Amino acid sequence: MIELKNIEKYYANKGVKSYILRHVTTSIKQGEFVSIMGPSGAGKSTLLNILGMLEEPTYGEYHFMGEDVTAMKERQRIELYRNHIGFVFQAYHLIDEMTVAENIEAPLLYKKIPGAERKSRIADILDRFNMVAKKDLFPNQLSGGQQQLVGIARALVAQPSIILADEPTGNLQSAQAEQIMDLFKKLNQEENITILQVTHSEKNAQYGNRILTIEDGVIKEDVTVK
Amino acid sequence: MFKLNLKIALRNLWRNIGITSINVGGLAVALAAFMLLMMYFTYETSFDKKNPNFDNIYIVGRTFPDFKTNYTPPPFGKAIKENFSEVVAVGKMKKGGFELAVSSHTSTVFTKQQLFVEYEAAKMFNIIPEGGLKKPNGNEFLYYLSKPYMQTLFPNKKDTKPEMVSIGSRSAEQFGEVRGSIVPDSHSNISFDAVSIVNEIGTGESYGHPNYFTYIQVKPGTDIASLELKINNLYHSELTKNGMVDEGEDVTETNAFLDPLKNQHLKPKAGSDANYKVLIALSVLGFLILVIACINFTNLSIAQAAKRAKEVGVKKVMGAYRFQLTIQFLIEILMQCLVATVLGLIIAEIVLPKFNSLFLVHLSIWNKENGLIWQLPVILLFITLIAGIYPAMVLSGFKPAAVLKGNFQTSRQSYWLRNSLLVVQFSIAVIFITGLLIINSQLKYMRTQDVGFNPEQVVYVKNLVYYTKPEVFAPVREKIMKIPGVKAVTVANAIPDGSGMGGNGYTVEGKQHSLSFLDVDYDYFETLNIKLKEGRAFSTSFQADAVNSAILNEAAVAKYGIQNPIGKTIRGCNIDYTIVGVINDLKAEGFEKAVEPTIYAINNPCGNPKTEIMVKVDEQRMAEVLAILKSQWSDINKRDGDNFRYHFLDELYGKLFAKQEQLQSVFFAAALLTIFIAILGLFAFAKYITNGRIKEIAVRKILGANDLQIFKLINTSFFVMVMIANLISWPLAYILTKKWLETFAYRIEIPILPFVLSALITIMLTIITVTIQANRAVRANPVDALKYE
Repeated sequence: MIELKNIEKYYANKGVKSYILRHVTTSIKQGEFVSIMGPSGAGKSTLLNILGMLEEPTYGEYHFMGEDVTAMKERQRIELYRNHIGFVFQAYHLIDEMTVAENIEAPLLYKKIPGAERKSRIADILDRFNMVAKKDLFPNQLSGGQQQLVGIARALVAQPSIILADEPTGNLQSAQAEQIMDLFKKLNQEENITILQVTHSEKNAQYGNRILTIEDGVIKEDVTVK
Repeated sequence: MFKLNLKIALRNLWRNIGITSINVGGLAVALAAFMLLMMYFTYETSFDKKNPNFDNIYIVGRTFPDFKTNYTPPPFGKAIKENFSEVVAVGKMKKGGFELAVSSHTSTVFTKQQLFVEYEAAKMFNIIPEGGLKKPNGNEFLYYLSKPYMQTLFPNKKDTKPEMVSIGSRSAEQFGEVRGSIVPDSHSNISFDAVSIVNEIGTGESYGHPNYFTYIQVKPGTDIASLELKINNLYHSELTKNGMVDEGEDVTETNAFLDPLKNQHLKPKAGSDANYKVLIALSVLGFLILVIACINFTNLSIAQAAKRAKEVGVKKVMGAYRFQLTIQFLIEILMQCLVATVLGLIIAEIVLPKFNSLFLVHLSIWNKENGLIWQLPVILLFITLIAGIYPAMVLSGFKPAAVLKGNFQTSRQSYWLRNSLLVVQFSIAVIFITGLLIINSQLKYMRTQDVGFNPEQVVYVKNLVYYTKPEVFAPVREKIMKIPGVKAVTVANAIPDGSGMGGNGYTVEGKQHSLSFLDVDYDYFETLNIKLKEGRAFSTSFQADAVNSAILNEAAVAKYGIQNPIGKTIRGCNIDYTIVGVINDLKAEGFEKAVEPTIYAINNPCGNPKTEIMVKVDEQRMAEVLAILKSQWSDINKRDGDNFRYHFLDELYGKLFAKQEQLQSVFFAAALLTIFIAILGLFAFAKYITNGRIKEIAVRKILGANDLQIFKLINTSFFVMVMIANLISWPLAYILTKKWLETFAYRIEIPILPFVLSALITIMLTIITVTIQANRAVRANPVDALKYE
C-alpha cells in the first residue's frame, strides 16, 4: 500500500543542512497496524506528515497505492484525503463551532455524499461509539476521551483505507487511552483498516503488529510484534 | 454544506460578538457616510438629466478679456437659428430682477425668481404648466405661478380658468392674468417660481443689450468644436454688421462659446467650478472613509485568524479544496457586509435631515432616481471584495501541517502591511483634525475681526420704489425717524451682503482706474456705523453733497496713490466729484475677496436706482419699532406700502460665512468619523498584537517586569506609528490648509497649535486604546499563558 524509497527531509540554513529524516526506506501493506516510536525530535511526526502528504520530502520516492505521490497534483491529493486517508490528532482538532454530529458529517460533505446516506452513516457510527446521546453537544462539553472518540469517528465515517494518528492518546488519561487503543485494534482486525500511529508509549505500541523505531531521522529498528 | 458553513459562521460571529459588532458597526457608519455622499454626488451630477435632449443642449456664452458671461444679446440667437442647419432649436430666457408682490383679493405672495421664457426654450427644457404647454398668440404673455403660490392666492380654485391678479403694489393698479400653476423641476438648471411664456423676448433690442440666456439644441452627433467656431465667426460678423464696432467694442476681444448643459450646474465656463471641486473632494472623502473602514475590516478579520486556523487545517485534511474555503470566508464577510449595509441605510436615514439642511438639498433614500437601487449591490460586492479577499486568501492558505501541530501563531509577514495601513488611517485622521482646527481658527477670526461696519440692529426693508433723489427720500426718512427707537435711516442701491456693486472708470490727477461705485443717501455711514478716516460724511448742510461730493474708501485712495485726498477732484460718469471724506475699508463682500476700491456718492447717473432701505434701530426697542413700521408702512412708503417685508442685515451678511460653516461641519464629521474608524482598527490591532505577545508578556512578568514596564513595552510600537502618521500628515495638512486659506483675502497665519493638538489627541487616544487591550494580557496569570497547549 505504501512504498517509501530513500526519503530524505532537511532544512538548509546558511548552507548547513539540518536533517530531519535520512534514507528512510520501508513499505507498509494493507491491513498492517504500525507504531512509529522514538525519542522527541527524532522525526516521527515529520515522517507521519510526509505519509499523510501534509509535508513533502526533500528527496526520495513515495508511492501510495501504486501512485507516485511526489508527482501528484493538489487535486489528486485532495481526492486521496476524501477517499482513502483519515487523520486522528493528539489535540483532537474538532471544530469548536460544530456539534458532535456536524463534526462527523463534515468529511462526508466534501465527499459529496447525499443527505440520506450521510444521516444513516452518522447514526450508524454514533451508535457504534455509544455517543447517540451526545450528538448535539459541542466539543468543549465533552471529556478528552470522548472528544478523541469523535475525532476517530470523524476519520472513520468517510470509510478510509488508512488512518494516520499522531499520538492519539497523548492528551488522555490511561483508562481512556486504553479504550482508544482497543478501538484501533478492533478496527484493524475486524475491518482490515491500515493504521499508522506515532506514540511514545511502549504499551500502546504493543497494540499494533509492527514497530518502527526512529532515532535522529534514521530507522533504527523494524520489528514485528507477536 | 452551505447550511453547515452558514451555521459555523453565525456561531463564530456570535461567539466573538464584541469584535463582530465593532467590525460591522464601523463599516456601517462608513457606509452611511458613503451612501449619503453617493446620493449627493448623483443628485449634483444629474441636473436636467431627465431631459431627453440633455446631451444636445448648449448655452451660448461670451468671453471677454477679463471674464466670461452667459448673458447674450437677443438678436444673436435668431442669427444662429437662421445660419446653421445643425441647430434644431434656439430658445432665450430672461430673469426678472425684482422680488415682486402678486396679490389676489385675499392674499399676497412674493415671486423671487420670475423668468421670461420663449416658447421654444420651454419646449427644450420641458417647462410644462399644469394642463399642458400652450403656444402664445402673437405678443401674448402666458403667465404661470408655481403651485404653492397658486394655492395661497386661490385656495378654493378647482377649475383651470385664468385668474386676475395685481402685480406689484396694489396701489400701482397693475393687473395681469395668471393662466394657471406650474410645478418647477427643482432638479433642473432652470429654476423659477413664476414664469411667463412668450413667443419671442427682446424683440426690440440690439447687440447692445446682452441681458438674455440663449440656449441652442443641436442635432445629435453635431461636431461642437466646429459649430462653436462658426458661431464665433457669426458673432464677429454680426457685431460688425450692426455697427457695434463703432461704439467701441473690439470684435476680436469678445468671442462666443458653447457650453454644454451638463456642465451648467457644476462647472459652467462662465462661473466658478468651486462646487465641482467641492463635490470631487467630498467624493474622494467618502471613498477614503469607506476604504479605511474596509481596511479595518480586513485587519479585524485577520486578527482572528488564529482562531480559525485549526478549522482550515482540519477541513483541508478532510478533503476541502482551497477555493471552497476561500468562498466560505468570503460569504461570511459578505453576510457581515450585508448587515453593515442595512445598518448603514438606517444610519443614513437618521442623519439625512441634518445632511439635507447642511447641503441645502432634499435627498431621500427612497427616491428611485437617486440610483441607490443599483449602486447598493455594487457597493456591497465591492466592499466584500476589498474587505474580504485578503483575509479569505490568508485564512484559506494555511498549511495544515503547520496549524495542526498545536502551538500555532500567525505569521508576522503581514505586519508591515498592517502597520502601514494603520499609519495611513492615522495620517488621514490627523489631516482632518488639523484641518478642522485651522478652519475653526479662521472662522473665529472672521467672526471676531472688525469688518469695518456694524450690520447689527440694522433692518433692511424691501422696497421697489426708486429713491434715487435725496429729496424724494427725505419725507420717508422723516416719517421713519419719528418712530421712537430709530437711530438712523438711509437708502442705497446695494446692501453690504456680498452682492456686487457696479463699476466704472474714474480719473484723479490724470490717472484713470476702474472703481466700484455705491450710491448712497445721507446717513448711510451713520446707519452702518462706518468709521471715517479723514474728512466728513455726507450731510444736508452741504448743498453740494447731493450734486457732486464723493467719499472714497482707503483701497481707492491707495489705488490712485493720492496724498491728502480731501478736496481733490475725481471725475467719472461725466461728473467732477469733490472728495469730501475717506472711510475705512469695509468687508462688505466677506473675507474671501479683497475690499474693492470704492467711491460713494449721492448723485451718480450711471448707477442703478436706489431702492434698498436700511434702518438702524435701538437694540432695546427692536420689536416695538418693527411693529410700528409694519403698521405705518403703507403710509410711509405710499407707492409700495402694501407689504412690509424686512430682513436683519446681520443675518444677510452672515450668509457670506455659510459656505465656510458648511465646510466646518463636513470637516467636523469627517474628523470624528476617521478618528473613530482608526481607533476601531487600532483596538482590534492592539488586541491582535497583545494576543500574539501573551507568552512574551508572561515570561517578562516571571522575570520580574512590573505592569508599567509592560504597558510601555506594548505602547511603544503604537506610539512610534502614530508619531510617523503625524509626521507624514503635518506637511500635507499644512499644504492643504494653506491652499484653503489662500482663498481668503483676509486670513490668519497658519498657527502651530493645531498640529501639536492633533498629535496630542491621536497619541492620547492611542495610548488609552492600547492600554485597555494590554491590560488583559498584563492582568492574566502568567502560568496560564505558559502551559503547553
